[in-house]
Amino acid sequence: MKIAIDRESLAKSVQDVMKAVSPRTTIPILTGIKITATSQGVTLTGSDSDISIESFIPVEEEGKLLVEVKETGSVVLQARFFAEIVKKLPQQTVEIEVGPNFLTVIRSGKAEFNLNGLDPDEYPRLPQIEEENIFKIPTDLLKTIIRQTVFAVSTSETRPILTGVNWKFENGELTCTATDSHRLALRKAKIETENPQSHNVVIPGKSLNELSKILDDSNDPVDIVVTANQILFKTKHLLFFSRLLDGNYPETARLIPTDSKTDIIVNAKEFLQAIDRASLLAREGRNNVVKLTTLNDGIIEISSVSPEIGKVTEEIQSESVEGEELKISFSAKYMMDALKALDGTDIKISFTGAMRPFLLRPLHNDSMLQLILPVRTY
Amino acid sequence: MTMTMQWEQLEQYQPVVVKMLTKSLEKGRVSHAYLFEGQRGTGKKAASLLLAKSLFCLHPLGIKPCNECRNCRRIDSGNHPDVHVIAPDGQSIKKEQIELLQQEFTKTAMEADKKLYIIEHADQMTTSAANSLLKFLEEPRPGTVAILLTEQYHRILETIVSRCQVFSFQPLPPALLANDLIEQQIPPHMAFLAAHVTNNYEEALELSRDSWFAQARKIVLQLYEMLKKNDLQALFFLHDQWVPHFQEKQQIDLGLDLLLYIYKDMLHIQLGQPDYVVYRDKIDDLQQWALACSQRQIVQSMEIILQAKARLNTTNMSVPLLMEQLILDLKEGKAFV
Repeated sequence: MKIAIDRESLAKSVQDVMKAVSPRTTIPILTGIKITATSQGVTLTGSDSDISIESFIPVEEEGKLLVEVKETGSVVLQARFFAEIVKKLPQQTVEIEVGPNFLTVIRSGKAEFNLNGLDPDEYPRLPQIEEENIFKIPTDLLKTIIRQTVFAVSTSETRPILTGVNWKFENGELTCTATDSHRLALRKAKIETENPQSHNVVIPGKSLNELSKILDDSNDPVDIVVTANQILFKTKHLLFFSRLLDGNYPETARLIPTDSKTDIIVNAKEFLQAIDRASLLAREGRNNVVKLTTLNDGIIEISSVSPEIGKVTEEIQSESVEGEELKISFSAKYMMDALKALDGTDIKISFTGAMRPFLLRPLHNDSMLQLILPVRTY
Repeated sequence: MTMTMQWEQLEQYQPVVVKMLTKSLEKGRVSHAYLFEGQRGTGKKAASLLLAKSLFCLHPLGIKPCNECRNCRRIDSGNHPDVHVIAPDGQSIKKEQIELLQQEFTKTAMEADKKLYIIEHADQMTTSAANSLLKFLEEPRPGTVAILLTEQYHRILETIVSRCQVFSFQPLPPALLANDLIEQQIPPHMAFLAAHVTNNYEEALELSRDSWFAQARKIVLQLYEMLKKNDLQALFFLHDQWVPHFQEKQQIDLGLDLLLYIYKDMLHIQLGQPDYVVYRDKIDDLQQWALACSQRQIVQSMEIILQAKARLNTTNMSVPLLMEQLILDLKEGKAFV
C-alpha cells in the first residue's frame, strides 16, 4: 500500500474511528486501526468488537483531491500512536507506505515515522452490506428516537437483554422499546424502505449512545441495514456497526394499559419543574419518591416528605382532570426522565389506580409513550 | 508447545480423549461445556485450540482444521473476535474477568454464529467468579462452547464439574518420555528429571537443555546435603544460592518438586524399587542416605514439602520465610540439639 493523503481529512477520520477503539480490549489486534486503500479511496476502521466504525475518505470530494492512491493494499497500525502522529505531522500532505512485514513509513514534510504494522488479515471481518435490505431514516429523527428511548434501558446485568433497546421493523414502521422493568419508553416512526421484510433486534444501549454522539445534526438520511449478527448505520462517509444482544426481548405490548380511570392533562414544562422542586427533598430520601394527589377544580398537588429533612407541597393548575380521585406515588427520577423525553407542550397522563402502571403521552401525538410503575407507600 | 498441531499428533499420547472429541465433531454433537483435566504438559491447551479450530476453520478437511485460513491463524494469535481465552490475572481468575466474558456472551457473535471460550487454570477462579460462571453454564446458548482447563480437578466446584463433560488427559509414563529425550542426546540424569517435571515432550526437551534447570538441580542436591549436616549452614545456603535462583512462583514450585523427588527416590530405594529413581546418577549417595533414615521420617519430610507447596500456591507468604520454615521443619530441631 502506498498513498498520499490530505492530513486534515485523515485526522478527522482517525478521530471518528478512534471513538470505537478501546484501550482495554482482550483482542490484541483491536488496539489498532485498519487502513485500506482502494482505487476509490481510503477506509479506516476502528472497533472494540461491540461497536465498529468505518470512515471513508474518497479520492476526490467537491473538486478537491484528498487522496492519491499509488498502490492499493491494507495494514493495521497501533491506534494510540497513529492518532497522535497524524495530529502532529507538520505538512498538509501525509504519505503512508507499507513495506515488507507490514513495516509502515509515515512521511510528512521532513518528518518520517517508521511503525511496525500488523497483518490486516488478523482484523475482524465486518458484515458486507446488501443494498436491497436498506431502511432510510433522517439523521435528526434517528437521534431523537435514541434520546427518547435509550435512557430507560436497564443498567443491571441480571437480565442482559434489558440493557438494550428493542427495534422492530414492520410494515414500514419502526417501533423502539426500552424498559428496565420499572418503566418503559416506546417510540414509533415511519421509515422509508423497499424491503417488506420485518426484523426484530435488540441493540445494546451503550452502542446507541455512541451512535448518537457520532451523528451530526442534519436531516440527511441514514441508511440502516440489519444483518444476522450486527446492525449497521450508514451516513455519507461513516459506517457504524453494532453487535446485537442475543435472546428474545420480552413481549411488552400487553403491559400497556388500554383503559384508564383518571386522565390528567398538564403542561409538561410546568409539571416537570414542580416534580423537580419536590424531588429536591426526596432525592435525599431512600428512593426519591414524590406523591401526586388530585384536588378539586383541576388542581393537583405534588408533595414529598423526608422525615429527617422536611416536606414540600406544591399545587399546580392542570388543564383538566377527569375520572376518579387519585393518590399515587412514583419515582421522581423516572417521571423527570419521561417528561424530558416527551417533547410535547401538553401531555396526557392516564392512571388506572394507585397500584397500576400509568401512561404519559403527548396530547396530539401517539407516536410515543412512557410507562411508569408507581411506588407502593403506606 | 507446537501451535500447528493436528489431531493425529495429539492422538499419539491422548488416544482416548482424541477419539471421543473427534467422534463428537464428526457427528456434530459438540457439547456446550468441557472440562479438560490432567497434569501439566498433557496437551489440554493444544486439544482446546484444536477443537476451536475444527469448529471455526474455513477450509476444514473433514474435521481437521487447515491451520492456514484466517480463522485458524487468528485462533493461534489470539485475535479471533469470537474465541476468547481467559487465564488467571495474577493469583486468580477474578470475578470481573468472568463478568466481561458474560457480557461478551450476551451479545451476538462478531463474525460467525458461534462463540467459544477457553478458561485456563479454571481451578484458580475465585469463588465468586466460579459462581458467576455457573449461572452461565446452566443456561447455555446455542452455538456457545466452553472449555475449562485444569491441573487440579479436585479444586473445581462440584456444581461446575457436574455441568461439564469431563475429559481426563492421561500422564505420559516418565520412563517413555525420558527414553525419547535420551535419543535426542540429552544426558540420562537430565532426561529423567525433565521427564518427571513435565509431561510435554517439547517442554521437557527445552528444559533439559536449559542451563537454569541444570543449575537448579545442582542447588537442590546441595541443599539436601546441607540439610543432613548438623548445623544451620542450610539456612545460609538458602539465602546465598536458592533464593536468588528460584524467583518466579513457578520456579519455586519446581524447586520444591525437585527436592521432593530426592525423598521419593529414597523411599523407592527402601521399598526395593530402584527402577523408579529419578536422580539415577546419584544412586550410590541415595542408597547411603536411605540407610540413615526411617521410612516414617521420609514420609514426614515429604509431607512437610507438600505443605510448603500448598502454602506457596494458596497464600501470599514471603518466599524466604516459607523456605526458612521448610528447612527448620525438615531438620526437626536437629540443629538445635
